[in-house]
Amino acid sequence: MLKLNNIEVTYLNVIRVLHGVSLNVPEGAIVALLGANGAGKSTTLKAISGLLRVEEGEVTDGSIEWNGERIDKKGAEEIGRLGILQALEGRRVFGHLTAEENLMVGAFTRRDRRAVKSDLEMVYHYFPRLKDLRHNTAGYLSGGEQQMLVIGRAMMATPKLMMLDEPSLGLAPLLVEEIYNIIKRFNTEQKTSVLLVEQNVRIALSIANYGYVMENGRVVLDGTADFLRNNEDVKEFYIGLSAVGAKKSYREVKHYKRRKRWL
Amino acid sequence: MAEFLQYVITGLAVGMVYSLIALGFVLVWKSSSVANLALGQIVLLSSWFTYGMLTQAGFPLWIALPLVILFALGLGWVIERFTLRPLIAQPILALITVTLGLGYFIEGIVHFVWPWSVAALPRIFPQSVVHIGPAVVSQEYLWVVGISLVVFIVLTLFFRYHRMGIAMRATADDQKAVQACGIPVTVVFSRSWMFACVVAAISGILISSIGGITYGLVETGLKAFSVVILGGLDSFGGAMLAGPIIGLAESVGGGYLTPVLWAGVKDIIPFIMIIIVMVIKPYGLFGEQRIERI
Repeated sequence: MLKLNNIEVTYLNVIRVLHGVSLNVPEGAIVALLGANGAGKSTTLKAISGLLRVEEGEVTDGSIEWNGERIDKKGAEEIGRLGILQALEGRRVFGHLTAEENLMVGAFTRRDRRAVKSDLEMVYHYFPRLKDLRHNTAGYLSGGEQQMLVIGRAMMATPKLMMLDEPSLGLAPLLVEEIYNIIKRFNTEQKTSVLLVEQNVRIALSIANYGYVMENGRVVLDGTADFLRNNEDVKEFYIGLSAVGAKKSYREVKHYKRRKRWL
Repeated sequence: MAEFLQYVITGLAVGMVYSLIALGFVLVWKSSSVANLALGQIVLLSSWFTYGMLTQAGFPLWIALPLVILFALGLGWVIERFTLRPLIAQPILALITVTLGLGYFIEGIVHFVWPWSVAALPRIFPQSVVHIGPAVVSQEYLWVVGISLVVFIVLTLFFRYHRMGIAMRATADDQKAVQACGIPVTVVFSRSWMFACVVAAISGILISSIGGITYGLVETGLKAFSVVILGGLDSFGGAMLAGPIIGLAESVGGGYLTPVLWAGVKDIIPFIMIIIVMVIKPYGLFGEQRIERI
C-alpha cells in the first residue's frame, strides 16, 4: 500500500539526513521503524506525511508511492486527505482546547457529521478514560491521557494509514502497555495500517508484524517481528539482553567495542 | 448627576465600539498569534469606503452595507494572501512588523483616494432621543451597543462550536499539529483575517456614523489595543468587558479632568491604564495563561 523507494531527504538543501530508505507498509499491517536517536525515523515519517516541507526539508531522490500514486511532491493537507495521518512526537495536544474539541479538530476535513459523531463514540470506546475527561482542558491532562488524545485525534480522521511517532515517550510501562494494546485492537478491528516509530523495541515488536531498524539515515536490518526479536544484534543493542537471556554487564566491555556497526 | 450619567452612557457606547475593534484584533491573534497593528487603518479605510458607497456613489443602505462587508472580506483575503502568507514560518516579529507597514500603506491609499481630512456619513440610525433617568441620550448609542453585543455573541458561538472556529483556536496552540491533522493552515489564517476585517468594518461604520470620519479613527484603533491588553489578548469576553471600562475611564475621567488639567488628557487615560495593567496582570484580566504542568 505504502512504498518508499530509496528516498533521500535533505534539509535546507545541504544537510542530507536520509541516504536511501526503502520500506513497505502492506494493507492492514503494523510496521515498526526502530532505531536510536538521530537515525532518521521521524524524518522518514515527515517525508511521508508531507510535513517535511514546513521544516525546509525535501525529498531529493527516490519516490514515495501510495497505492501506486506518487505522493512525495504533495503538500501535507493533500496527503492527509488521502488518509495518511501522522501523530507527532511529544504529545502535541491543543492545550487550551478541551479533550473533545481536540478530537473534533482531527475530524476537521470530514463533512459527514453523523459519521463523525459515531467515530467520536468509537474513540471513547477505545479510550474510555477520555470520555470522562472530555470537557477538561487538554493542557492539564496527564501525559498518558494526552498521548491517548493524540492517538484518538488521529483516529478521528478515519485514516487508512496511521503513523505514530514514539507513543511510549515518557510514559510509565503500564500505560505504554495499555496504549499499545489499544493500538493493536484498533488495527485488527478497523483494518487501519499502522506505521510505528519507536525506541522501545520490545514493546514495538510485541504488536508489529514487520520491522525496520534504522541507523544513520539508512535501513540496516529488516524482517518480521519474530526474526527481529530473535536476532542477536537487536537483542543485544536494542533490547539489552545477551545471548543467554541474562542481563549483560557493560562494564566489562570497552565502550567503543560494545556496539556493532553495520556501516 | 445628569452630567455624570451622560458621561457614563457615552463612555459605555464608545467603549463598546472599542470592544468591537478589539474583537477584530483578538480574531487574528487567536488563530495566528500575530498582533495586527494595522487595525486602526483598516477601520479608517472601511469607513471611507462606506462613505464612498453611501454618499459618493449614492447607493441606498441595503446595497451599500453588503458591499462594505464584501469589500472587507476581500480586503482581509488580500492582506493575508499577499503580505502574510509569504512570511509563514518566519519569526513572528517579521509578521507583526509587516502589519505595521501595512497600516501606513493603507493610510497612504486613503489619503490618495479621499484627500479630504474629514467627512460625515449619512445618519444610519434613528436619532430621536431617549431619556434614561435625568440623562438624555441619542438613540444611536443604544443601537451601537446592541449591534456590538450581537457581533460579540456570534463570534463567541462561532469559536466555541463551529469547526472552523475550533480549528482557529487549535492553530493558535500548535500550527504544526494542525497541519498533521490534515487541516490547511493557510485557509485558517485567511478566514481569520477576513472575519477580522469584517468586524473592523462594522465598528468603522458604527463609530463614524456617530462621530464622522476623521484620521482620529487610526488612534481609535490604537485605543483598541489598550482594550485587548486590559482584557487579555485572546479573550473575546475580556475584550468585550474591557472596552466599556476603557470607554468609561476615558469619558468620565476626561469629562472631569479636562477642566482641571488640560484638554486632551482624555486621550492618554487608556494608555495609562495599559501600563498599570501590564504591571499588575501581565495576561490581562481574562487572558489565557500559558498552561504549564508541573
